Amino acid sequence: MQFEVLAKCHTTRARVSRMRLAHGVTMLPTFMPVATQAAIKGLTPQQVEALGVNLILNNTYHLNLRPGIEVLKQAGGAHKFQGWNHNLLTDSGGFQLVSLSKFTKITEEGALFASPFDGEPTMLTPEESISIQHAIGADIIMQLDDVVSSLTVGPRVEEAMWRTVRWLDRCIEFHQKSGKDTVQNLFAIVQGGLEPDLRDKCLDEMIARRDKVAGYAIGGLSGGEEKDIFWRMIKQCADKLPDDRPRYSMGIGFAEDLLVCVALGVDMADCVFPTRTARFGVALTSKGPLNLRLGKHAKDMRPIEEGCPCPTCSSGMTRALLNHTATLETAAAHAITQHNLVFQARIMGGAREAIIDGTFPQYLKQFFANYFGDAGYPEWCVNALRSVGVDLLEDRPDAKVISGDGAKWEYSDAA
Amino acid sequence: MTSRPLSTVAFTGSSSSGKYGPRTGRIRIDRQDGTPILHTDTPALLTATSRGLVPHLSRDNVHLTQAIRHLQLPFESFLDRNPPVPTLVGGTHPLHTLLGFSPDNHIVILTLRDPSDGRKMPPNGTDFVSGQCTRGVRKVNLTAWKNYAAQCKPDLVVALSDTPFTPAPHSQKRLTKSIERSIAWLADFLRVSPADPSATQPRNVLVHLAGGIEPSARSEFAERLSEPIEQKDAPGLSPPMNTLNDGVAGYVFDLLPLHTALAADVSRSEGLASLDDDLLHASHHQRSSHETSTELAELFRASLDPLPADKLRVINSPTSPHEILRLVRDVGVDVVDGFWAQRAADIGIALDFRFPAPRHSTPEFSVKGAPPPLARKDEKLDLGHNLFDPRYRHDHARLASSFLDGKSSAELTPDSGSPLPMPVCSCHACSPHSPASRMLHSPVDVHAWADVSPSTLQPPFVRAYVHHLLHTHEMSAHSLLVMHNLTVFAAFLSGIREVLRHGDTAGDEFDREVARFEETYDERMSLWNEAERMWLEVEHARGKGRLAREKEKQAASTIGTAVDL
Ligand SMILES: [Zn+2]
Ligand SMILES: [Zn+2]
Repeated sequence: MQFEVLAKCHTTRARVSRMRLAHGVTMLPTFMPVATQAAIKGLTPQQVEALGVNLILNNTYHLNLRPGIEVLKQAGGAHKFQGWNHNLLTDSGGFQLVSLSKFTKITEEGALFASPFDGEPTMLTPEESISIQHAIGADIIMQLDDVVSSLTVGPRVEEAMWRTVRWLDRCIEFHQKSGKDTVQNLFAIVQGGLEPDLRDKCLDEMIARRDKVAGYAIGGLSGGEEKDIFWRMIKQCADKLPDDRPRYSMGIGFAEDLLVCVALGVDMADCVFPTRTARFGVALTSKGPLNLRLGKHAKDMRPIEEGCPCPTCSSGMTRALLNHTATLETAAAHAITQHNLVFQARIMGGAREAIIDGTFPQYLKQFFANYFGDAGYPEWCVNALRSVGVDLLEDRPDAKVISGDGAKWEYSDAA
Repeated sequence: MTSRPLSTVAFTGSSSSGKYGPRTGRIRIDRQDGTPILHTDTPALLTATSRGLVPHLSRDNVHLTQAIRHLQLPFESFLDRNPPVPTLVGGTHPLHTLLGFSPDNHIVILTLRDPSDGRKMPPNGTDFVSGQCTRGVRKVNLTAWKNYAAQCKPDLVVALSDTPFTPAPHSQKRLTKSIERSIAWLADFLRVSPADPSATQPRNVLVHLAGGIEPSARSEFAERLSEPIEQKDAPGLSPPMNTLNDGVAGYVFDLLPLHTALAADVSRSEGLASLDDDLLHASHHQRSSHETSTELAELFRASLDPLPADKLRVINSPTSPHEILRLVRDVGVDVVDGFWAQRAADIGIALDFRFPAPRHSTPEFSVKGAPPPLARKDEKLDLGHNLFDPRYRHDHARLASSFLDGKSSAELTPDSGSPLPMPVCSCHACSPHSPASRMLHSPVDVHAWADVSPSTLQPPFVRAYVHHLLHTHEMSAHSLLVMHNLTVFAAFLSGIREVLRHGDTAGDEFDREVARFEETYDERMSLWNEAERMWLEVEHARGKGRLAREKEKQAASTIGTAVDL
């Protein structure tokens, strides 16, 4: 991996970087769409490329079950299997083991789970996870970590943090011996729950191994914890992680979360949210999410968003036709997915441009004013951005501020 | 309503064997509004739509698929709002504008009902037809339909007709009523208000040839079409229109109700238990055979006997390519709807057949190692591959053995000029190209794409990948299959045109090729039964054990809906 920071925001911790991997250059900060099963919902890889996206995520747990490693090897790896010529990241599979199977048991050796095919006890070790990710062939691979819910408290959190460090060592060793470390890049995952001193210890340990890892992920968050704690954890990690390594915030996808994370120094994020919400008929716009199933859109001949360059809006697709077809036709989901991915890409592209131009604080203020102007600013966003020198409420003394986790969008059909 | 649809539709066809026989032709659409005049060679493909969309295809993929040229737009789904949304669009091409079709390339045929949806419907009335939308059944009367057509300005429009979607058999009285109504409704549709001097006679109207499976009733309907217009109908039906037939651009044959009625006939005469009488499945119970094709051809000829040969003939919902070939051979049909191929994509089938059929003696079957479809016990080949089948798990070949993919064809012909061993499937699944351009979201994004060449031929998507997508419920499977199946189906029709172009001997050659096709490919469609069964199994395994009966019915009778979001 070649990683080069091209520009830094003069106020916040945000930065623009160029990351060169085996399948090309990706500009950071960026949002990574999730292709769990080796396809972005309903789209072809060519359609995804056309949207200006060149780094996507596959899920190791799922691909290991189906199509299975043997098929991927026959195809020459996951890139060739799915026809994707650009960069690819895989997770370790550990998170899905814990979230999809209630029988998974963590031991020092690895994660013990019941095989979804025959119920037989099966072990996913750190070495096995890396080996599977080698067969998949992603440009960025993740260490197996001991994931605990961000709501867990007590000694289990510390245990998981230390085990994650030990598993990182096993992943590094296996990865280096395999000889794949020249093509595939291993990322460490910082754990430690919501406890600052555990995070700090984890950061120390992992930074000590910086020469053996290509980048760092911040794990164990966005699992239902309070947003005010979430951003403090991100900030603590991003502040301490080395400048010359990309920082990846796992499972982040809401627009406000993305921009706060970027301002705190995060370079990469992924989430199923924009593609999943599209299937339910929700389109993302600069004025907040739009539930196209609502009756009020039935005769609305405007596009989802005026001026949006996505294939959906630029083809003249109206809210009315999306209202007519959303959740009933797969092609409506495709259309909204295309739009939502472009929305995510534009937020991040706009951030890159503003950071380079030295206008990122204004960009943040403008975005939040549009997005939350009517609904009210989430207090945690105001706090988080103040911590890096941007006051969203400056010049807006009358702005409404919502405490807690912020605006609740109207998703129900009131019409 | 002052503005009538303006497009004029002309059809010129030629057959070497007289009024009934294989024929090629050309459709000419002149919208008289400055857009290019569109020509299509026939027999041609009519792509089915659902709720205004080609199922599983986003707009960019519709435009990538050259097979999509004529689109059939059932209006009924839009009856959920009043006034219906397409009537609110305005402009010169409201349907193209609303639905994202290109006036320079796409021809839109507007019809009230989805011709492939055979679900039971409440009876029609003396001046209305019942249509289906998400809010239930809606009545559309003659005036409303005339207004909708005037507001939507389709390239072609099908007049309302009274087809019973109540359980067969239908009494003589019901058939007589159906004919009376259909004639009166057509006359009304063609009538121009005398109060409006600017109105012109529509020249783009298609009419269903009514009469069900009674040859005498069909003849009677056709004779009524060709009778001199009665005085009482005269106001607004002006010369040069001397008969109602003069006012129509072509004829529509809906095969679904005919197949259903024929099947009911057989089970009655054989004393079998009656078919599920509230469900006229397009896929279940309806398989074509020599016998049904012969019966259909007789029924079509009963309709066409009194009528001139120079009008367009459209058939909806054929059930197999065999049936299409025999109707081309024995009647002469010009436009064929794609429901059958599109439905195959819903249930995981990748079509793999050609007309003329490949010759076993040539080595072409093994080119670049794409295994041909399965041979059944009688050695006839399947028409495609059921990609749900576990046998495809490790099959890394392109979708069709009878077509090359773009990449291997490019490798086979390095300027050598030697002919390809077989045609190329130009669909996006077999011959994908990288995009011509990518969106840039910031000025530094040029770094990201500097080394990536645009519009470059990519390797084909393979069976193992689509198999994987089907088993993981990924919608992309169906997008790829629809593009492929429509392209294979269009190539089949183009193969028919090619053989018929061979001049005087074309008729004989065509007959021989039809016979060879029938010998080569399985018409019993065992593959379809298997694919539908596996599709249901995968649905069940997914924890959707009891599909609601309504949903199951809808999935079987309308395309697109078999796939869960
Ligand atoms: Zn858009
Ligand atoms: Zn193809």
